[in-house]
Amino acid sequence: MDFQGIYDRLRAIEAPGLEGCDEPRPANAETKDKGRGGDPFCLVTPALLPAFLEVCRDDPHLSFEMAADMTATDPGKDEEHLWVNVQLLSVSKKHRLAVKALLPKASPVLPTTSGVYRTNQWHERECGEMFGITFEGHPDPRNILLPDDWVGAPLRKDYEFPREYHGISCE
Amino acid sequence: METQEHTATIAESGESRVLESGEREYMLDVRTQDMELNMGPQHPATHGVMRILVRADGELITGAQPHLGYLHRCAEKIGENVEWLMYLPYTDRYDYLAAMNNNLGYSMAVEALMGIEIPRRAMMIRTICAELNRIGSHLIAFGTYGLDLGAFTPFLYMFREREWMMALFEKICGARLTYSYIRIGGVFNDAPPGWLSEVERFCDTFEEKWKEYCDLLMVNQIFVKRTADIGVISPEMALDFGLTGPMLRGSGVDWDLRRDMPYELYEEIHADGAFDVPLGTGERGTVGDCWDRVYVRVQEMMESIKIVRWCLGAIEPGEVIADIPKTLRVPPGEAYVGIENPRGELGHYVVSDGGKVAVRVRVRGPSFVNLAVLEELMPGALVADSIAIIGSTDIVVGETDR
Repeated sequence: MDFQGIYDRLRAIEAPGLEGCDEPRPANAETKDKGRGGDPFCLVTPALLPAFLEVCRDDPHLSFEMAADMTATDPGKDEEHLWVNVQLLSVSKKHRLAVKALLPKASPVLPTTSGVYRTNQWHERECGEMFGITFEGHPDPRNILLPDDWVGAPLRKDYEFPREYHGISCE
Repeated sequence: METQEHTATIAESGESRVLESGEREYMLDVRTQDMELNMGPQHPATHGVMRILVRADGELITGAQPHLGYLHRCAEKIGENVEWLMYLPYTDRYDYLAAMNNNLGYSMAVEALMGIEIPRRAMMIRTICAELNRIGSHLIAFGTYGLDLGAFTPFLYMFREREWMMALFEKICGARLTYSYIRIGGVFNDAPPGWLSEVERFCDTFEEKWKEYCDLLMVNQIFVKRTADIGVISPEMALDFGLTGPMLRGSGVDWDLRRDMPYELYEEIHADGAFDVPLGTGERGTVGDCWDRVYVRVQEMMESIKIVRWCLGAIEPGEVIADIPKTLRVPPGEAYVGIENPRGELGHYVVSDGGKVAVRVRVRGPSFVNLAVLEELMPGALVADSIAIIGSTDIVVGETDR
């Protein structure tokens, strides 16, 4: 199925938390819109992300058996939201879907999706340490790549590089 | 007296059996203590700097917890701080055994945002390099796996062939391990004269040697006994854990991005019937065991040779790089591009706001994802088998930690 087919199906089964979609568009000089390239994606309410993914996995027409990737993005210092990006993959239907949830930077809290896809458990640990996102109900919310005592969320745009770490100068 | 009373209670609770001689044998519970065992960070079988905290009850593993991050080099953060073209050399360094494939994955992600057309000859050379690198990577996986299980000789043979592969890359780009040869828009330069015919000679020799390797290790009784029925991953578990590449195909799931979501020239190559996708069949044990995963890798080397041969037959003179400026400005947008690396799906999620520097470069490393399965796979296995299981996941720590 192409993106339009997947999106129509999601609307038909009233997938929980589905807010809309965003598709690539050409630039428009009149409105000073720079346009957007790349992939289309679905926008989902963060609190309902696990329920949404579960529907995507279990629906016989979508059957996204695998979460290929889960990550987050800080689009800029002045932006109010973080993006949580999930890339779904269907092995039997041979299609992909990009899912995005906008998470307020002020309270980056999200229910865990590791119950739906086990692979997300490690991805969420990485998102947690790199972006300071809290995953409620996560079975093992430790740091994964960074030391346990690391301060700050390094992939946030407002992250300040540490001057020293345990007496080791970083300058 | 006390002891007799104690045995009497056990007998009542049924924890006993009658032997042939008529004697009664009591099953007295032997209490042992779980032992925590640190495998790594310097353990040779972890294939890099990684630590696995193994909890063992005697010989039986009851829990395993991989600890990563010893090789974390902030690849994603660097991606947000250097220009698009400048990031390319960093991609070499995550899966350093398959650097060509990493270059290809990143270049394709940026090209997806830019919407540029790649010259056909460039795609041919890209495919040849990526497949040769796949062979080299699988040779290491296969050789070191034998080494893990005590077979030293195959390892040396594998390095002989890999050496030739690296010499080929040295001739085309000057580097032996970190190539940065596949660029955004094509490849850095054209193949030097005589290079393609040497690749053909490599293919001829490799086909011969490959049969020897199979005889040497794959059907070796000791090897089969150490790998068959060990570390079985069911197809459902493989999908749940997001496993890709030989880890997924070893479990019998028929999925290869080169065939099922073709990129570059693979659609054409597959339409010509030039390559198949080998799957784990449980020939020596259960579907999805360690032996099957190794079998898939070994078979894939031969498929790669077929793809290289197809390219050698179809390559024509022409441009090797599209016309792109020195300072790239990538149009705004976001794209996720996944390609079939030797270890599975290498995904690049790139976000641009139209500037010279990326907003986000996310790397989905197959080793990172494939490693998570150890948490589930190791409990219940024997300590001696843990080496076989870790080796069969074929991780590169540079990629798990990025």
